Amino acid sequence: MYVKSKMTWNVVLPAENLDIKGLMLQKAIITRLMSEFAAKKASKDLGYFLTVTTVGSIGEGKVRQESGGVLFPVDFSCLTFKMLVGEVLEGVVYTIINKGVFLRCGPARNVFLSHTMMKDYRFVPGENPYFTSPKSSKIEKGVTVRFVVLGQKFVEAEKDFQALVSINGDYLGPIS
Amino acid sequence: MAEKGGKGYVPPKGGKSALKSPVSNGDKSKKGKAVQFDSEDSFESDIPKSNGEKGSAPAGKGGKGGKGEKVANGTKKPTAKAPSSTEKTLVDGLPPNSVCLMDCEAAEILQGIQDQMVVLSQDPDIKLPVSFDMGLSYAKRGGNLAKPQTVKKIFEPLKKHGVSESEICLISNVGPETVDEVFALVPALKPKMSTLKGPLRIALDELAILKDALAKLKESI
Repeated sequence: MYVKSKMTWNVVLPAENLDIKGLMLQKAIITRLMSEFAAKKASKDLGYFLTVTTVGSIGEGKVRQESGGVLFPVDFSCLTFKMLVGEVLEGVVYTIINKGVFLRCGPARNVFLSHTMMKDYRFVPGENPYFTSPKSSKIEKGVTVRFVVLGQKFVEAEKDFQALVSINGDYLGPIS
Repeated sequence: MAEKGGKGYVPPKGGKSALKSPVSNGDKSKKGKAVQFDSEDSFESDIPKSNGEKGSAPAGKGGKGGKGEKVANGTKKPTAKAPSSTEKTLVDGLPPNSVCLMDCEAAEILQGIQDQMVVLSQDPDIKLPVSFDMGLSYAKRGGNLAKPQTVKKIFEPLKKHGVSESEICLISNVGPETVDEVFALVPALKPKMSTLKGPLRIALDELAILKDALAKLKESI
């Protein structure tokens, strides 16, 4: 689900970016904020960082003794994407193995649907492996699947989430 | 948790008008709980347990609690409890200054920013996160051109029946065609099924009409 949040970050502006013209200073602060936001990629609480939507107030700058840079506290709103446990989402299958399938769901790439979480489906090996059910629905590469999120884990080193999902339930499964 | 415990053991207030009040009060969970616990001492230990379960369990388990309580007494009590547990399950992992958005709302915001990027990208210092494009394409996946304000208006009446913002976002994002689909995909709403069926049907019908009209408009253009 998409989440809109209010945050306050401290933005440090290097001395060379300081400008006596107010507007240019404001632009430099916002640009710096956006680049730090982009570099952070994701957080455990908020999910994947998508964009800064609005910048609220920019606080008074404090000069940092060591570097000569100036630290500004900035209030802003941002948009993120987080998979919530119990949420129903859609993903596109990009890898199939005998243990299950990997899906891509928006910015999330490590969404795993285990074969134990797709009742009645059986694995069909081959050059283009797929899972099929007696009702003749097929889960193969490129197919969009509607699933429910069972759990997720944030991998700090990769700044990425791993999610476990299921299609056991009504109205879940491949979407035509 | 402390609050819950508190509710459970506050009963003295609620007293004896007890059994019927939860039925008539519907969503006023506090009163319902107090009254119930007071009147049925033998259930006192059971009910907080079911509370605890709901708090920690995923949305799907809401129904079970409901059944148990029907046996204990009137049907409305589970209705009152379930929403709070759902709300917790869904929004639990989010910081307090956060709100859930519908996909169409997110699509509008992200599209607006992408449109501005045509100009802004001339400045190499301005960067967007790597997830931006994937986030935008996921938000636009349904090809739903409906304005978020219109969709919000359509689902607005559901709030009167105790459906939370995040549940409305869930319903809208799933894009259900039938009422049964809503209850299957958002199981937390099941305890309110009887009261929600009508308003939900109206909302889904309106949404279907809106989508049809927009699709036709798109074709004609």
